[in-house]
Amino acid sequence: MRECKKHEQDRVAFLFGELEAKERDRFLSHLVGCSHCQRAIHEIREMTEKADTLHADIQEAMDSIDWESLPSKITEAVLEKVPQPSREGWLARFMRIAFQSKMRPVYAGILVGILIGSLATLLIFQRPFVKERGEAFIVSRDFLEKVETEMARRETLDYLDESQFLLLDFVQYSPDREELRKPELAFEKARDLLSKKKYINPQLMKFQMAKAKEICDQIELLFYELTQMGEQLTREDLERIRRLIEENQLLLKIKLLKRELKESEV
Amino acid sequence: MSPLGYILKKSAEIQSMLEERESTNEDISSLVEKIKQGDRQAFMTVVSLYQKKVFLLAYSFFHNREDAMDIIQETFLRFYQKVHLYEKGKNFKNWLLQIAKNICIDHYRKDHSKRSEWQIDGDIGDMNLPDEDDKNFRSLDLKDIMKRSLIKLTEKQRMIFVMKQYNQLKYREIAQILGISSGTVKSLHFKAVQNLRVIMAPYIGR
Repeated sequence: MRECKKHEQDRVAFLFGELEAKERDRFLSHLVGCSHCQRAIHEIREMTEKADTLHADIQEAMDSIDWESLPSKITEAVLEKVPQPSREGWLARFMRIAFQSKMRPVYAGILVGILIGSLATLLIFQRPFVKERGEAFIVSRDFLEKVETEMARRETLDYLDESQFLLLDFVQYSPDREELRKPELAFEKARDLLSKKKYINPQLMKFQMAKAKEICDQIELLFYELTQMGEQLTREDLERIRRLIEENQLLLKIKLLKRELKESEV
Repeated sequence: MSPLGYILKKSAEIQSMLEERESTNEDISSLVEKIKQGDRQAFMTVVSLYQKKVFLLAYSFFHNREDAMDIIQETFLRFYQKVHLYEKGKNFKNWLLQIAKNICIDHYRKDHSKRSEWQIDGDIGDMNLPDEDDKNFRSLDLKDIMKRSLIKLTEKQRMIFVMKQYNQLKYREIAQILGISSGTVKSLHFKAVQNLRVIMAPYIGR
């Protein structure tokens, strides 16, 4: 039966003499032993014989026409409407030649070439994904809040680290130490830290950073005092700074605050 | 003669008949060249050579003499207008029948009144087939049954069936005229025959 299904279309083509020699032989060898296909062919033949009954009708219609005089009538009618056969314009001729069917493979090739070229160019010059300006991220407010707090925490920790080193220098001062024999270095560092404090000020405005702000403000005040002392630090100046640090327990506060900030990492 | 014997004989007859046909493209090419120069006599000769072929196609498609006559006239008018498009060496008959086929389809589509009578699309199962017990339909003669059955085929199936059955064109000629592959013609011809068998079954006793 599967074999019959395969030859379904061959039955009609065979009856109308449309099978190639090889196909015909293959089909015939199947047909000889297949009563199903023989019956189907018989039915198709009956149907086409019935269709042939229209031949009489067609013949009758053809007989009713005067074929002798028809060409001159058609010619008259056609020439009346179109006195001269139209000539092909250069553009039409170009289009016809350019788009004739035998040129199709050429155009197909060109098209495929363009496509491959475009793809290759795209792959080679593909930009890394850069977000367009003005293109909005869609993230939750909560997430943004967390990111900002984390940034503030890290910036503050950095500030406290650097401040701690500078303050330690003053606290552990001894006449042998090199650093404070060159006080301009301490001034420069203090000025840097003052600038940094200005930068982190907005981040310290957060509710969670209130405690950090208070301590950072005290450090800032101290550095401000330091920068006002002049280029040459006297022993009294140094004593005054050390006293300020110790009275305010700045180093202890910095230590505790740093620990707290490290523990509150997001 | 056994059915198989008959089939083989018929098939061989058709094959030899088809092989006998040869085109006369060279003669036609010179006539076409003359027509391009405005030669009235050459045009008339082409009309007289091909009018019956065009009529046969149109009449088989429409089964109406007046429609077929309109198609002939329109086909030769369009041929005259497009004669510069004919390329030397191309099969003239197929080229002309391609024009005729296009006009047949245009004519058929424009004719809304006929379109409403004729169902052209859809599967055989969707077709509004007459009841098997419809005595009026049973009383129709075979020619009418055939005509009614033909118009129930799809446009393409009908065109292919008509070209094969009445114009006796080869699959490759039909393919050229319709601009499709021979394989598609074979498949559509098979479908047309299958559908006709189903449509006609109640009226031919199967």
